[in-house]
Amino acid sequence: MLKILIPTLMLFPTIWFSPAKWLWTTSIAQSLVIALASLSWLKWSSETGWSSSNLYLATDPLSTPLLVLTCWLLPLMVLASQNHISPEPLNRQRTYISLLVSLQMFLILAFGATEIIMFYIMFEATLLPTLIIITRWGNQTERLNAGTYFLFYTLAGSLPLLVALLLLQNDSGTLSMFTLQYTQPMHLLTWGNKLWWAACLLAFLVKMPVYGVHLWLPKAHVEAPIAGSMILAAVLLKLGGYGMMRMMVMLDPLTKELAYPFIVLALWGIIMTGSICLRQTDLKSLIAYSSVGHMGLVAGGILIQTPWGFTGAIILMIAHGLASSALFCLANTSYERTHSRTMLLARGMQMILPLMTTWWFVASLANLALPPLPNLMGELMIITSMFNWSHWTLLLTGLGTLITASYSLYLFLMTQRGPLPSHIIALEPTHTREHLLITLHLIPIILLILKPELMWGWCF
Amino acid sequence: MVNFAALMRDHWVNIFVPLGFVIGIYMDSAQDQKLTAFRNKSALYSRELKPGGEVTWK
Repeated sequence: MLKILIPTLMLFPTIWFSPAKWLWTTSIAQSLVIALASLSWLKWSSETGWSSSNLYLATDPLSTPLLVLTCWLLPLMVLASQNHISPEPLNRQRTYISLLVSLQMFLILAFGATEIIMFYIMFEATLLPTLIIITRWGNQTERLNAGTYFLFYTLAGSLPLLVALLLLQNDSGTLSMFTLQYTQPMHLLTWGNKLWWAACLLAFLVKMPVYGVHLWLPKAHVEAPIAGSMILAAVLLKLGGYGMMRMMVMLDPLTKELAYPFIVLALWGIIMTGSICLRQTDLKSLIAYSSVGHMGLVAGGILIQTPWGFTGAIILMIAHGLASSALFCLANTSYERTHSRTMLLARGMQMILPLMTTWWFVASLANLALPPLPNLMGELMIITSMFNWSHWTLLLTGLGTLITASYSLYLFLMTQRGPLPSHIIALEPTHTREHLLITLHLIPIILLILKPELMWGWCF
Repeated sequence: MVNFAALMRDHWVNIFVPLGFVIGIYMDSAQDQKLTAFRNKSALYSRELKPGGEVTWK
């Protein structure tokens, strides 16, 4: 664990002492080295279920894929931001990259924590750099509003969790994940117990976000700069799913009745957010709403509490993290050229940037879960475990996949095909940097087809 | 020689992250040793290693 965490800490002096000319090259190269080193976590040699542990930090099959995803995203975020941050004053550039690095540090600590209260603290700590990135580097004045929404939705959701955790500590005497799974099973009979159950999950349901408490997400995505959108879609939402899976292990025996309303809400959210996507005009907002829909499926898979549900959820989280982050990068390449997120104003891009169209095509296919991409594996596993629970869910999940395919097609046709508006005839050509960025997103998705057991979680 | 000095002046910052790896790997292995110090040392439960096996558990 420390073999990745300490180099990440060392990125701070690297960023602040490196000469201006080399700032971006150095930070991208060094963070990429850290990302490649983090792949060593995937080589699983432990027999005890936990690995590379000291007393406070450890990895297990559930957290490993998310940790590697976190490390993989940092160089990509730096790469994506280079074009629009490098004209700024030098110290602002350094601050920006430092914020991204601090986000990676907090996320490693959150995913690696073995104490639930430490996970909670790091979960909250990730809010700060994200908030600063959104409100200081966003493009429009609405970013302040978006920041407020982002902060207060998440904080209000997670305060009950703090109380619930303190209560749990009081009852069981420990909050260590190593020992909590062996404590006496709790029988949630009284109303107070049921409230405690809800408090344990509410923070994560807001963070996922499940339909109904999702309003902060499209706002934050639309207003955030590209790196903010990428990390939000790729990793921060997954903190919610990860936290839910961790809590679910403690909340046994299976809390069936309590989970029903949330499963229904999550499934209904797939339909609703999909329908919203179908009539969306704003490019980033569409991708954000599609994230809410996919996360609804993940939430459903976790709440159903079967091994297949859990495995499907974690596969979908990783696959969606890479695919949606790639889509945001593509949206940003078009935004940097047309300076507008409105899809109608930037049509027919295939005529000008044909290779970008290829990337759009592959990323859209990944988003709509084309076989044999890991997105499909995740969705299929969740849909199957849902179907096993109740046959009626197939109506919702099936319709959901249909709508997902429709709006992905709509997204692709709207941005890439059609007539080229006369006001964007002269566009800047693509950079190699942008192609590298998208390639680095798509390579892991494609390679994961070959070895999906890396993200099967506890089932492997 | 001048070139080397210039190279050092521009790129000395690149030493931080490799240094971090060295420290991190050292601390990880130290912790591993600490946590496995009593592995297979129990008088009651210690056992012979299987043929080809290095440790009783990892």
